[in-house]
Amino acid sequence: MIVVSSLSKTYGRLGRRRVRALDGVSIEVRRGETVGLIGPNGAGKTTLLSCLLGFLRPDSGSVSIGGLPPDDLAIRARTGYMPERLGFDRDLTGGAFLAQHWRLSGGDPREAGRRAAAAAARVGLEGGVLLRKLSGYSRGMLQRIGIAQATLGDPQLLFLDEPASGTDPGGVVIVRDRILEAKGRGATIVLNSHQLPEVEKVCDRVVFLSGGRVAEEQTLRGERPAPRRASIRVAPGRAADAVAALASAGFAPESGSDGAIRVPVASDENLAQALQTLARADVPVFEARSSMDLEDLFRRGGTA
Amino acid sequence: MIEMVRRFLRQKFGSPAMVIALSLLAILTAVQGTLSEPEQALGAGFLAILLIAAGSVSRDISGGTIQMILARPIARTSYLYGRYLGILAVYAVFLAVSAALTVLATRLLPTLIGAGTPGASLDSILRGIAIAMANALLFAAILLFFSTFLRGYSDVLAYFGLMIFLGAMPGLGAALRKPWLARAGEVLRSNLLPQVDWSGILRGRGLLGEPTGRWVLAVTAFLALATVIFSRREFSYGQD
Repeated sequence: MIVVSSLSKTYGRLGRRRVRALDGVSIEVRRGETVGLIGPNGAGKTTLLSCLLGFLRPDSGSVSIGGLPPDDLAIRARTGYMPERLGFDRDLTGGAFLAQHWRLSGGDPREAGRRAAAAAARVGLEGGVLLRKLSGYSRGMLQRIGIAQATLGDPQLLFLDEPASGTDPGGVVIVRDRILEAKGRGATIVLNSHQLPEVEKVCDRVVFLSGGRVAEEQTLRGERPAPRRASIRVAPGRAADAVAALASAGFAPESGSDGAIRVPVASDENLAQALQTLARADVPVFEARSSMDLEDLFRRGGTA
Repeated sequence: MIEMVRRFLRQKFGSPAMVIALSLLAILTAVQGTLSEPEQALGAGFLAILLIAAGSVSRDISGGTIQMILARPIARTSYLYGRYLGILAVYAVFLAVSAALTVLATRLLPTLIGAGTPGASLDSILRGIAIAMANALLFAAILLFFSTFLRGYSDVLAYFGLMIFLGAMPGLGAALRKPWLARAGEVLRSNLLPQVDWSGILRGRGLLGEPTGRWVLAVTAFLALATVIFSRREFSYGQD
């Protein structure tokens, strides 16, 4: 379990403007849980990740991972990390880079080549690509090899900072699949991302940071998920009937600017009830989906 | 640590510019060693060590590579000493090549230009290598120390700055009629940049003398300071 307790961190030296990047942040990440850190630029997400990795020392508060400090080598041996700004030895080939990280993580050097090739294949980098120098890779390819590096050796802890940034839709799917794969084998994952739909797809919980503080936490999956918002598109000209039927059934529908009806729902079962209500009212439903609506959380600035 | 040394070797020998620069220096050293004394020529490989050690840690920090390495089960001291040993390993290769070229040039030059070769004995070459490595232990420690807290290649500038500063202090003290300033300069210079007669030591003279002790202390002090600074350093790339 990752325990962050009253963590504060200030940047800036004497004589310069001091910036409080983290201000009393406390969060817990349970073993096997995937937690998304979201928030506007400058909210303190990367600083928090850096503290979790032991790159930064907090001014006050503490971080422990499984009861150990974050820079303990036993923790590092089980950690995979992908930074937002990928710092590569650009003269290395893709294969040599992955093999190097395999050895750095304490893996058997004799297996380095095979493991590197397997990890690269899982992110769609195969054959001659691995023989090319990283300096010749596109941004998307660098992101892919970055995620391959982070998941090398199936680490039990994954810290990912904007892993899908700059990738094409195919790359986004690959990153998502690698995260879901790690999640499937029970890894604990902390994901920092601005790509809210991706966060919603893979995370069990989101922590909204704003101004260096935890503004809100919401559970996306589990026993008590946070309320969701359904978007229902009905037959043209029947929106008013749909709103009236849902309102009479105890829902709180709103007509959206795009013609869809927005309905807060507590669960998927609750959404099914709303759809049954519309069926009884003889309103044809063309499309229905529910989501956390993290964008709404962003708009509200994390205030519940 | 072995992986860190291997990485340093790959970084240096993987760079065509570095290989060309070191090759040219090796050729110059060999020519100089052939025409004069190999012991002196090899022992003066000052430029090569600067070239090899410049930005050894700071470049990893500014490039963001350090975070990806330290996220692995690598102790900061292992990283740091890996860089130090890497510098020495690359320099050893440079010296070996220079020595081999010296031997080759000793045989070729008299044929080509008809010049005499005053001294290119194996003894002289081995002594030159030993002196160069002994000097490199201190140079590399100083550059590593500066590289732990300065940016880019500022470590080289800082090294020259230190030399100029310590060299100027006695003259400055005399000019200002401040004997204590001159004395302080001498004390600092003899302790931070001690001059050791390695040639004499290799011939069995003064191994346990005061200069050797100062040299050991200086190497230890620069490495210890580098360790303390690097162990306490924070690594970030932004304030988000």
